[in-house]
Amino acid sequence: MTEHVSPPAAACPRCREAVDDHRFCENCGLDLWLRRGGAARPPSGPCPGCGANGTRTVNGFGVDEAGEDYCGTCGLRRSDGTEHVEADLGPVAGVSDRGLYHVRNEDAMAVGVLAGPGAQPLVAAVVCDGVSSVDAPELASRAGADAALERLLHPGGATMRKAVEEAADMVAALADGSHGTFRNPPSCTLVAALVDPGTDDGAENAENGPAITVGWVGDSRVYWLAAPDAAEPARLLTVDHSWAVEMIAAGVLDAETAMADRRAHAITRWLGAGGEPEPEVMTLRPAGPGLLLLCTDGLWNYLPRAEDLAEVALPVLARGGPAAVARALTALALDAGGRDNITVVAVPVVPRTRGGSE
Amino acid sequence: MTDVAATGGFTVEVDQNSYLPVDATRVDAIVTVTATDGAAGPAPASEVLEVIVIDCSTSMTGSKIRAARQATVAAISELRDGVSFAVVAGNHVARQVFPQHGTAVAGDGSRSSAIRLVERLQADGGTGIGNWLMHVGGLARAHPGSIKHAILLTDGQNGESAQYFTNALDSVLGAFTCDCRGVGTDWRVDELRTIATAMLGTVDIVADPADLAADFRSIMGEAMGKSVADLALRLWTPRGATVRFVKQVAPTVEDLTGRRTEAARQSGDYPLGSWGAESRDYHLAIEVPAGGVGDEMLAGRISVVRPGSGDLPEQVLGQGLVTAIWTEDSGLSTRISRGVAHYTGQAELAEAIQEGLAARKAGDEPTATARLGRAVALATASGNDGTARLLEKVVDVVDAPSGTVRLRKVVADVDEMTLDTRSTRTVRVRGDG
Repeated sequence: MTEHVSPPAAACPRCREAVDDHRFCENCGLDLWLRRGGAARPPSGPCPGCGANGTRTVNGFGVDEAGEDYCGTCGLRRSDGTEHVEADLGPVAGVSDRGLYHVRNEDAMAVGVLAGPGAQPLVAAVVCDGVSSVDAPELASRAGADAALERLLHPGGATMRKAVEEAADMVAALADGSHGTFRNPPSCTLVAALVDPGTDDGAENAENGPAITVGWVGDSRVYWLAAPDAAEPARLLTVDHSWAVEMIAAGVLDAETAMADRRAHAITRWLGAGGEPEPEVMTLRPAGPGLLLLCTDGLWNYLPRAEDLAEVALPVLARGGPAAVARALTALALDAGGRDNITVVAVPVVPRTRGGSE
Repeated sequence: MTDVAATGGFTVEVDQNSYLPVDATRVDAIVTVTATDGAAGPAPASEVLEVIVIDCSTSMTGSKIRAARQATVAAISELRDGVSFAVVAGNHVARQVFPQHGTAVAGDGSRSSAIRLVERLQADGGTGIGNWLMHVGGLARAHPGSIKHAILLTDGQNGESAQYFTNALDSVLGAFTCDCRGVGTDWRVDELRTIATAMLGTVDIVADPADLAADFRSIMGEAMGKSVADLALRLWTPRGATVRFVKQVAPTVEDLTGRRTEAARQSGDYPLGSWGAESRDYHLAIEVPAGGVGDEMLAGRISVVRPGSGDLPEQVLGQGLVTAIWTEDSGLSTRISRGVAHYTGQAELAEAIQEGLAARKAGDEPTATARLGRAVALATASGNDGTARLLEKVVDVVDAPSGTVRLRKVVADVDEMTLDTRSTRTVRVRGDG
């Protein structure tokens, strides 16, 4: 008999071995503090088109270079589950949807929460938008989102630049031949946010509050959404790497002329072959509560102003949390036309007040 | 719009607009099949059979038989060491010139023996092309798995009954490929075109016997470069789909639709003949069951297949996919692939020429003027300069873009036959290699 009684030990979700407060399972090495979401689950079972059980062709090819698979009876593309993906980890939630016009969802998201026992969670979110004019853009966005998230929540710590650099390397590596030959190798945009809960010393100043780091390449965006009278007002935090924005910034063209050009929305930086993967990084220690929103142009093309997004999102947040916000904004983009893939990730940010908060 | 797959030595490129409007069911695609470096080397000589068939009927007397002898000598000189070969003289029957029976293996000795015998060829008798083909078929059957090729030269019309000839041709389908040449202007274009099409070969006119040797040399050079025999284009289509047509559209137009043999489940094979360091284009039109908005369907899987022989299993040498995607976005579904548009025009060009010439022969001048005018417009628009030049010898072009033409009162037989023979020659899309 020992002098004190341990609480019943928790079990590792992967190997069922008893675990303690350590970050990694001593038995199988699973990261016990990390939860991730955003990946698609391919549906299983018979073909929804004709009811045939999935067949792979017998000629040794079966799937094409992009790994796409079609029903061997009726030819229907077998869904990979990316048409509509939802992720809800509590402190962060997202929705990624194919939209109404695109055949595939070429967007991807990766969200993660790192929380030790009794500690405030570290939250990371990454959203990528595959470039439609290249081959297999969905491979780029998936690889980019996963690689960046992996680094942002890495046990060894991370910087935003390092995370984007590794994402760019992973996307560029898709063209190494292991995915077939590409005329135009896969590429994508990337936007990532890391929300650090900050130190918990009870002092009420922004210096100790949550710190937000945002990094981006291309025209996927991060918004800060807050009430009209908030201490930290609603605004767009990123600056698109797009032709029009750069022309305006350089003083070459006025806004009207630049936006009217057919090249207006062409992106000027991207991850992947031939791209300029140099991220821009900004940090923010918000003076008051708000909602961090990451999204692709499938949403912001319909609702580009931060104030308008806040007006829709904040009441929903109060009622249903970040998952409800992601669903509501996705529905809004679909109702407005759904011409592009839509990805929305919401992370509520609440500076702690004296007495602590959840 | 384009999807490339490179695997077992062949690339299969698909040029199409995958997007269809709601309820649309027809899918068109241009498929470019190219042998890659690895697969394009000449086959081992021991796996090649060459047969040269020379028309030695009475009409060949004089300069034609002299030119044919020279041309055959030139072709024999092109034979690679180790290749099996035979020379056949054709009149109302087929007679072996060299060797006496069966085939010989090319080498210095056999080549000079063959040449000596060819130089003694005389013209006498009738024309029995069906017999010649059956004779070559017999030689070919002794060489399973080899690349089997024949050159057939004639200067006149076939003397056999239509039924006899058709049966003979049917009996040798797929047994060898055959390049046909008509020398002079007394032969029938449609007769030789029928043979060349059935035997997956070419047809051409050699109006001046003096050009025969150079032509034979180039045919033989081409034949010696072939690397694989008896390839097939295998087309898988989804359940409920119908193949409207499968046409070769470059370098020439050849309709393969009727040549289908059923293969594995939901698949059919179309014969491609032998293949060297070359690239050919095919136009596929498939009717599929309509899908819902946002659905993507595999409308066709194209495989280049090498049949199994002996204990070698069948091999898939390359593959490409034709897809259909239903969308409400008319901006996507109204685009037409350049390749599909271009080759639809090239196929129509060949048809317009053949119909126009047939109408002209029948004395139907309005139809002839309209069809040949359409041909001029198509040839001009697509940059098919070779065909445009041939047309100008048959019609006076008033305005090429609109296809306004006048029939020429006097047209030389050779010009008309050249236009007819070469009407199926296409050009590739401008700006492409």
